[in-house]
Amino acid sequence: MTNETSTESRLNEMIEEPMTSEQENQAEPETRVVRPPGVIETKNMYVFYGDFMAVADVSLNFGKNEISALIGPSGCGKSTVLRSLNRMNDLVASARTEGEVHYHGENIYAEGVDPVEVRRTIGMVFQKPNPFPKSIFDNIAWGAKINGFRGNKSETEGLVQEALEGAALWDEVKDKLADSGYSLSGGQQQRLCIARAIATKPDVILMDEPCSALDPIATLRIEELMLELKENYSIIIVTHNMQQAARVSDRTAFFNVKLNDTGMRTGRLVEYSPTDQLFTSPTEKDTEDYITGRFG
Amino acid sequence: MTGIRDTNIHFHQELEELERKVLSMVDRAEQMVEMAVQAVTSDDMDLAQRVVELDDGIDATYSEVHQDWTSLMARHQPLGSDLRRMAVLIQLNVTFERMGDQCVNIAKIAQFNEGLPRVERICEQIREMGDLVRPMIRTAIEAYVRGDVDEARLLPAMDQPVDRLNANMYKETVAVRDNPQLLEWATKMLMVSRALERVGDQAVDFGEQTAYLTTGERAEFDEYGMARPIDDSQLD
Repeated sequence: MTNETSTESRLNEMIEEPMTSEQENQAEPETRVVRPPGVIETKNMYVFYGDFMAVADVSLNFGKNEISALIGPSGCGKSTVLRSLNRMNDLVASARTEGEVHYHGENIYAEGVDPVEVRRTIGMVFQKPNPFPKSIFDNIAWGAKINGFRGNKSETEGLVQEALEGAALWDEVKDKLADSGYSLSGGQQQRLCIARAIATKPDVILMDEPCSALDPIATLRIEELMLELKENYSIIIVTHNMQQAARVSDRTAFFNVKLNDTGMRTGRLVEYSPTDQLFTSPTEKDTEDYITGRFG
Repeated sequence: MTGIRDTNIHFHQELEELERKVLSMVDRAEQMVEMAVQAVTSDDMDLAQRVVELDDGIDATYSEVHQDWTSLMARHQPLGSDLRRMAVLIQLNVTFERMGDQCVNIAKIAQFNEGLPRVERICEQIREMGDLVRPMIRTAIEAYVRGDVDEARLLPAMDQPVDRLNANMYKETVAVRDNPQLLEWATKMLMVSRALERVGDQAVDFGEQTAYLTTGERAEFDEYGMARPIDDSQLD
């Protein structure tokens, strides 16, 4: 497998490459410290919507089988960053991404990369549960089929069961697989969407505020599920709920909005640290001000 | 003005109120140390009784702080320096309540020892310990209020003569072994010495909490006030 070779050679590069003075002078989020290459790594990523620079210079390294949380005030670009990690932003006509996003060492924005394949391996769960207007069974089976699954009936049934079990929903729906996805509660619908996402065998799941439309009990179930899923998947979650980030994530990235010289409000990465550290003793004053409710 | 807008102002006001309550406990404990030492060295039963009564106030505040703290945590789930301050306050609540208990121990010994023959040299040594411990408490309070870690680092050095005097008390007690009445009195005074030594240690703990609050790093002070990171695996 070439991944290992490239991983090793990139580690060597990271260790041996001398720092330029320009790099030394940059604000140094902890991500610049040598960490093994993650499952997804952004390098000096900028995202624009037309002329508007939404986020600037994001270099982040998301660990394998970790839950990474992106937090920050509205407009800080955290959802924009998330959507750039599986080229979901390509679907927005004016959106443009610069810099690099590496998935297992390969730039997903390189020429010739199929964005549909990218979105299959890097799945996504959205803020509002969005099941297809189909049966519970078909939500999984159909989702997998449009992503290239070509199994026979029993293989499909196996896939559906496996995905629903993986999303901790099987026991609640196994006797009503023919019912509409809409017949489920909000929390169940969100787990159905997670089941649909894992049915395509991704290894990264992006979650954009997956619990913001759910009640506290349903939220806790999703959080429990995330902790189970990280055994097999790497998860990157955008959340407005700092306590949720504190509860579930291993590392947290804090983004903030900065005004540039021309008055443009651009999101920037302020700090990326182990979650315990970020929420008890953040390195950056901006982070401290945000998590204690003080805004400059 | 830094132009910082506090969107969490109600929490911060309640946090300040909680902090005031906790600090009122240590103010009172400092006062109780002085009274308890005076009571036990000069056979003053009125003072001893007042120490016991003052401690009821500390105990009441302790319960109140516990309730307020729990309510604040439940309602606000603070983070960052707010979380550290909450962690420090719940720890200090226990520390100051115990300081009060040590003073009560001393006051009760004063009541027990009432009318017994005494050794003035031992009384002087206990007074000296009290005179060393009270400035430690004051220093710890000031270091906390000012967030001054350097000042907090002075505490272990201030604690050393207290420890030395406490170690010496054993010898003083053994010296009166031939007089049963004096020995009974002196054995109790050994416990007074031990109580004051504990109060000194609690003042050092207070300083360590200030260092944690200010720097974000949990550490114990060594004898020079240098931070020695806490190795959790070594804790009981």
